Amino acid sequence: MSRSIVVTGFGAVTPLGENFSVSWKALIAGNDAVAPLNLFDTTGCRCHHAASASLPPLPDLPAKAIRRLARASRLAIPAAREALASAGLLDAEGRSTLRELPFSVATTAGGMAFGEDFVRRVLARDRSHLFSEVSRYLSQQQVLDVQQALGFAGHSAIIANACASGANAIGHAADLIAVGEADCVLTGGFEALTELVFVGFDCLQATSTDRCRPFDLNRTGLLLGEAAAFLVLETSEHAQRRGATPLCHLTGYGHTTDFFHLTQPQPDGAALIEVMRTATSQARIAPAQIGYINAHGTATPVNDGVEAKAYGTFFGDAPGSTRVSSTKAAIGHALGAAGAVEALFAIEALRTGHLPPQLNLQTPIPEIAPALVGGKEFSGDIQHVMSVNLGFGGSNAALIFSRRPSP
Amino acid sequence: MKIDLAVIGQGAVSPAGVGVEPLRHREPFPASVSAISQPDQPWPVLRVDLKNPAFARWQNEPRLRRVSSMTFFLVEAAEQALAGVSSAVRAETGLIVAFSAGCTTYSLRFFGSIVTQGQKTASPALFPETVFNSPVSHAASILGLNGAAYAVIGDETAWVAALKAASVWLQRERVRQVLVLGAEEFDPIVLDAYRSARWLRRNNPSNGFLASEGAAGILVRRSGPEDVRMITTARDGLIYRTKKEAAAAAERLLGESDPALPCYRSAQRNWIGSLEKKTTENRSSVPIKEQPYLGEAFTASAAWHTLRALAALTPQLPRLLLPVWGLNHQFGLLELETRK
Repeated sequence: MSRSIVVTGFGAVTPLGENFSVSWKALIAGNDAVAPLNLFDTTGCRCHHAASASLPPLPDLPAKAIRRLARASRLAIPAAREALASAGLLDAEGRSTLRELPFSVATTAGGMAFGEDFVRRVLARDRSHLFSEVSRYLSQQQVLDVQQALGFAGHSAIIANACASGANAIGHAADLIAVGEADCVLTGGFEALTELVFVGFDCLQATSTDRCRPFDLNRTGLLLGEAAAFLVLETSEHAQRRGATPLCHLTGYGHTTDFFHLTQPQPDGAALIEVMRTATSQARIAPAQIGYINAHGTATPVNDGVEAKAYGTFFGDAPGSTRVSSTKAAIGHALGAAGAVEALFAIEALRTGHLPPQLNLQTPIPEIAPALVGGKEFSGDIQHVMSVNLGFGGSNAALIFSRRPSP
Repeated sequence: MKIDLAVIGQGAVSPAGVGVEPLRHREPFPASVSAISQPDQPWPVLRVDLKNPAFARWQNEPRLRRVSSMTFFLVEAAEQALAGVSSAVRAETGLIVAFSAGCTTYSLRFFGSIVTQGQKTASPALFPETVFNSPVSHAASILGLNGAAYAVIGDETAWVAALKAASVWLQRERVRQVLVLGAEEFDPIVLDAYRSARWLRRNNPSNGFLASEGAAGILVRRSGPEDVRMITTARDGLIYRTKKEAAAAAERLLGESDPALPCYRSAQRNWIGSLEKKTTENRSSVPIKEQPYLGEAFTASAAWHTLRALAALTPQLPRLLLPVWGLNHQFGLLELETRK
């Protein structure tokens, strides 16, 4: 990156907790959030469980306003507020101290539950409440909800690159800063569980009726989840000017498109290898310098084998001392938010040395088995971490965070 | 945000026809479609003619076997903009597509079957095509665009966000050039949405807001001495929730720009059109012959207007403003310039 970019705050709402701190403690303790799904009827599905989040209270908003919010906004507003607060960017009224704050954000479904209700009414020829539903399902409405709840405006970009969107949104924020178009950006992603998406993955037989077992030979599919996660990126100079303490540096970002198939990665993982090489090159580090990778690891039969093979090639047969885990076994796959929440977990691993364990392993994929994080692992000398995401349409993205930039 | 985008290729698909020329010269032929919740009351709409021979070359593409009409609009407009670009250069070309509604047809078909026939009937062939970036992936694959790809979503101003992202990629030297497109498709359910928003008018409907569809795009690179048409400014982020906030945002948007610059008017046939008229009444307008109304297709409309405005640039009109009026989030603005 041509300008030094630092992370000065972050926040998250996940199925493991209503804020980042609670989520992290539960994650490191080896908890998961798998539970029967009761947000909508799943009678006709193969799978009936997911990782859903408890909605944090929104004390600053009137009850009427809260009722109008999409579930996605109920997740996004508190996560964004926590990020701004931890960066020291909230005033006493809980509003952003930066009135113009660029916002680079990811989602795949926005307020889809409103869209689903709209379709139900239209098909039933019930013309009541149609406008309130159709006007609130679009993703820009959740962006507007966050902007208005936290009192900021400015450029926003909503990136919808499927499951890599969150990493892309963060990478785009870094790009905006790197070229001098912004000094400080709020970035991340949000996703709420909805029937359309849940049934979609279910009909593809991508969801598991068993435990979610990333990087296991007996893996049978993914666990769907929901989350919102945001971080504040700014230049070192901007952070220094306002007295903010950098938590780490964002040093590398790579993204590309895999043309092999709409829903399957190229068998040799070439696109994933390319984005990891781009990111490490930008960070000016060698692969072996990466201490921890928060892997995409969906636990689908196709993804994890390709991903393990890609790491083998990238690291030169073996990851060496690099540790790897997929946190999707604990919080589920949060789609558009996945890249953001997983980046936060990688950052916290960098900051604390505690590594998120790989849950539900029975028989690890041999190529990656030595690298998978066991229970209660601590590594205090990690200097760089990477977060990797792949998505439908062939989106691949990798982010690198570092204690300090390489010379 | 000052940007430096030289426009080196253009492509369009609209109800007026396939290509950029019909955007300015050909009247679209209105069709008539009923909303789903009111099947006995048709509304005039503007549709792309998928029987146009231009689409035949895409209909045999294996990767496009299951796609909806929007992907055909997208790849056709993209190929026009890429005309003459070698495969080697395509391999270093990025792709950014702005959408508002995405693949409405398949989303409705997929979820409609769940509602009417149950979850067990959900189609695994349809679901992947409902994802926003699937058409982007198809287009990149078919056209050999090996650079990065983003799907950017939002109201009309997603077009501005897409252009800004292109500018950032070029400055970062992530790609050699970027193809930026907007694309939307019509489905009868949008009439239910527009009706509920009171944008459709029963009295004299053909002079009112018309739902439309299509795609358009531009191929851009950092400008050099040989380039003729440029986009030099992209502003967005003037957000609103209420009409009062919208009026204030519009005043601010135009107030920040050079008052001497003529303003291109996109004249939406809804409350935004009235707001645009009021906000720009003290400015000179771009002196162009009245052009056919192509209906409202969100990001595609924003792209159509950009192509029309680029065509209006002359030595006598070297710079102009193009406001981009987002229907449900924010307003933006582009400044266009010709250097010859």
